Amino acid sequence: MTGSSSGGSPLHRAHPYTPLALAGALFLLAFAVSTPRAVGLVVVAGVVLAAVGGVLRHVLRPALVLALPTWGLLLVLHGLLGADPRVVVGPLTLSEPGLARALVLGGRIAAILVAFLTALATVSPPRLVEAMAARGAPFGLIFLLVSTLTLVPRMRARAAQVLAAQQCRGLRIGGSPLARLRALSPLVLPLVLGALAEVDEQVLALDARGAVIGGRRTVLHPPPDSALERVLRWGLLLGILAAYGAKLARGGA
Amino acid sequence: MKAVVRLRDVTFTYPGAARPALAGLTVELLRGEVAVVAGPAGAGTSTFLLVAAGFAPRLTGGKLTGERELLAARAGIVFATPWTQLSGLCASVRDEVAFGPASLGLPRETVLTAAERAMRRAGAEHLAERDPAALSGGELQRVVVAAALAPAPDLLVLDDPAAELDPAGADELYALLPVLAATGVAVLVATPDLERAARAATRALVLDAGRIVADGETATTLDGTDVAEIARAAGCPVPLPLDVPGLVGRLAR
Repeated sequence: MTGSSSGGSPLHRAHPYTPLALAGALFLLAFAVSTPRAVGLVVVAGVVLAAVGGVLRHVLRPALVLALPTWGLLLVLHGLLGADPRVVVGPLTLSEPGLARALVLGGRIAAILVAFLTALATVSPPRLVEAMAARGAPFGLIFLLVSTLTLVPRMRARAAQVLAAQQCRGLRIGGSPLARLRALSPLVLPLVLGALAEVDEQVLALDARGAVIGGRRTVLHPPPDSALERVLRWGLLLGILAAYGAKLARGGA
Repeated sequence: MKAVVRLRDVTFTYPGAARPALAGLTVELLRGEVAVVAGPAGAGTSTFLLVAAGFAPRLTGGKLTGERELLAARAGIVFATPWTQLSGLCASVRDEVAFGPASLGLPRETVLTAAERAMRRAGAEHLAERDPAALSGGELQRVVVAAALAPAPDLLVLDDPAAELDPAGADELYALLPVLAATGVAVLVATPDLERAARAATRALVLDAGRIVADGETATTLDGTDVAEIARAAGCPVPLPLDVPGLVGRLAR
């Protein structure tokens, strides 16, 4: 799970709102459809998006790592413990409606993960800052959003530093699961306390540099936003509205 | 010289603290002077910087009693840890340095000119196109100094600013301080590196347990330390060295 990757793909070159709009559209679409086949198509669309962005390998591994525990839980809850009739899948006898439910829910999770990890990997935070500032967004909102988007990579980098420092002081991170669990405490405490101390200093430094919650920034490098991209984003919005309209017409299932 | 800060009988206590970090401070800081703030660990030197620059209690919380007049239009701050002072929102050093003036909403050309001037002053112009996240600690500290200078503060406070710098970098940083002061900036620097600070500062304030115990010209205020006494006994000319490496270097000459 990383932050944005460098690259020259169409998604990297696009206005930052475009990959975010595509990810948002896939997210909403995953909930607008309710059959395993339709949800599967949304997942495929997410994978195609990641491939177009040149970040497929960057995205699939963390998506799988995050999704697998939930898929396992869904299989047990809906597949094994679901209602009859049952269907034989390999060595397992599973609930047929439960399996369909598990596939829909698991597919939605996969679609959301692939879509948003793709957006994270292709949207450069500095370009997003400039894009938002160009649209008149207040600094507080920009900082909140971009800090959230970059939180995981920043915490990973900091955790690696803390871990290296603790290993220099004799911390062993291998061994049994219990030993690995015990090794977490010398990592977590300095990580959290360090992050809090950093936030204190960053607030002071940013305030001194004129960054206030409601302030409007001068935009130095506004990302170009082509008519085609604007049409695409409006098209996505209309498509989503149509999908939810169709869902309501079907009775909201 | 005009004052930028006037404190009269100022006492400051951090939230939840049993005793004040600063007690009964009366002091005036002037434009065009470089003042070094010295004292043992826990003396309140860092807190003094925050109170003098108006960051405490506004951003830190806590209670301030007494009278404080902040006459500086803008205060800049530099900490020992450069990575906590980055905005995290910029892709290049130039943009990071420009962040302050851009946050003030100045015209684009003014922002870029201010950034170039600040980078030149801090010796960071050769880093302009680099990614701030890929710089060494020493390079980053130059960028942070440039970033603090870019919004044109009339009071600059520095808390152990050379902690990440190599000796040559530290010499350059301290050599910059009188140059800034000559343009009318009041510079307040807290540091244990008294040898270098004494060469740059015209005034020294010594704190102990939150109180000012000495305030005067650097040469006369700081030369009461043990190292200075040894240097005096060894026949070193003024300004006397104030730390052991300085004394060794002087005696070696």
